[in-house]
Amino acid sequence: MATNSFSSLAEFLNLPELLERVENDEDLLRELLALFQEDLPASRNALQTAIAGGDLTEIERAAHRMKGMLANLSAKQAASLAAEIESAARAGDSLKIPELISLFDPQIATLSAALGSFLASD
Amino acid sequence: MRILIADDDPLSLRLLERTLERAGYEVTAVKNGRHAAEEMCQPEGPRLALLDWVMPELDGPAVCREIRKQRSERHVHIILITSKDSKQDIVCGLESGADDYLVKPFDPEELKARLRSGIRILELEDNLVEAREQMHYKATHDSLTSLLNRGIIVELLARELTRARREKGSTVVILGDVDHFKSVNDTYGHQVGDEVLQEVSRRLLGSVRSYDFVGRYGGEEFLVVLNNCSAANAMGRAEQIRNAVFKAPIMTAKGPLPITLSLGVFASLGEEAKAVDEMLGEADRALYEAKGAGRNCCRLAGASLLSQRI
Repeated sequence: MATNSFSSLAEFLNLPELLERVENDEDLLRELLALFQEDLPASRNALQTAIAGGDLTEIERAAHRMKGMLANLSAKQAASLAAEIESAARAGDSLKIPELISLFDPQIATLSAALGSFLASD
Repeated sequence: MRILIADDDPLSLRLLERTLERAGYEVTAVKNGRHAAEEMCQPEGPRLALLDWVMPELDGPAVCREIRKQRSERHVHIILITSKDSKQDIVCGLESGADDYLVKPFDPEELKARLRSGIRILELEDNLVEAREQMHYKATHDSLTSLLNRGIIVELLARELTRARREKGSTVVILGDVDHFKSVNDTYGHQVGDEVLQEVSRRLLGSVRSYDFVGRYGGEEFLVVLNNCSAANAMGRAEQIRNAVFKAPIMTAKGPLPITLSLGVFASLGEEAKAVDEMLGEADRALYEAKGAGRNCCRLAGASLLSQRI
């Protein structure tokens, strides 16, 4: 099975959908995962800084960008949490944001760790 | 087909790039809206664009507006990519000049199908533009000789006279007529007559400068407009043209034929320039004089008048 090599990521990513998106180009998929992993510290940092500064526009922007990347990787749960953060920020619902972040951040951390070991062993 | 893609998300950009390359596109990838607008607004820039909606500097709709402003003469097919899917957003995107939109994450097959529909529009436009250019050529050129036709050369002459009047320049018109052309047709047939007209046309074109005009004025009558040519040089230039036809026989299917031209010349001075009809009338009278003087010669209009004044 083509998905075998990626099976350690099946818990986070919808692999069949993802492989369809890259038209079964596994090299491209590895490249995209590495791009995501590379971009992640800056994205997380941008989101955290915006939250610390209470800057709703920046929170919306940072969450939107992460949502896009997560959706492209078919990381469904994380993507929908990012979408919720984005709409909470747009709606000015600043009370809801910390609650969402407390769910979102551990997910991202786990995903990143799994990606880290996948990319290292690949 | 060249295509521009713009997205500040490196993952999405790479995914698009690879998908499109696999589909045979020549891809230019940029990371923000400003670069997208710059690439697209070059005169020979891509005619297909996939733009992410949310980008730093210029967002997708702003890039659309910029492209529509700068490249209004030809169609550029723009697809916005968005994760926004409210009706209001879609309306705003289309109103800014986008042709279509895709919701991300996109399906590769849908992406390619939407691009093909964009290409169909571009191809349709290419065909229409080409047809328009062909029609324009046919409407302004003589089909036998490919010279300018009468309508357009008279129009160009009128335009040239306006310019000459403003710049106090001078314009020379020469009406040339193939001598004894009727007997060429009667003796050798119309096909040979056509060959003669085609070769005379080539020789006329070869004896003027690139910015002069040569047109077929009537059956075997030609009009040459020498732009920025002084009255003093008019007869010399006319002699060159006469010689270009006279110097060697014209090779036809029925063998070489000696062909000559009679020419009537009129030189106009910038500030006292006459109307086009008057100029052509004068040149025609001079041509008539040349015919009367035994053909294969040039006559200058108003020459007798000038000598009377002196």
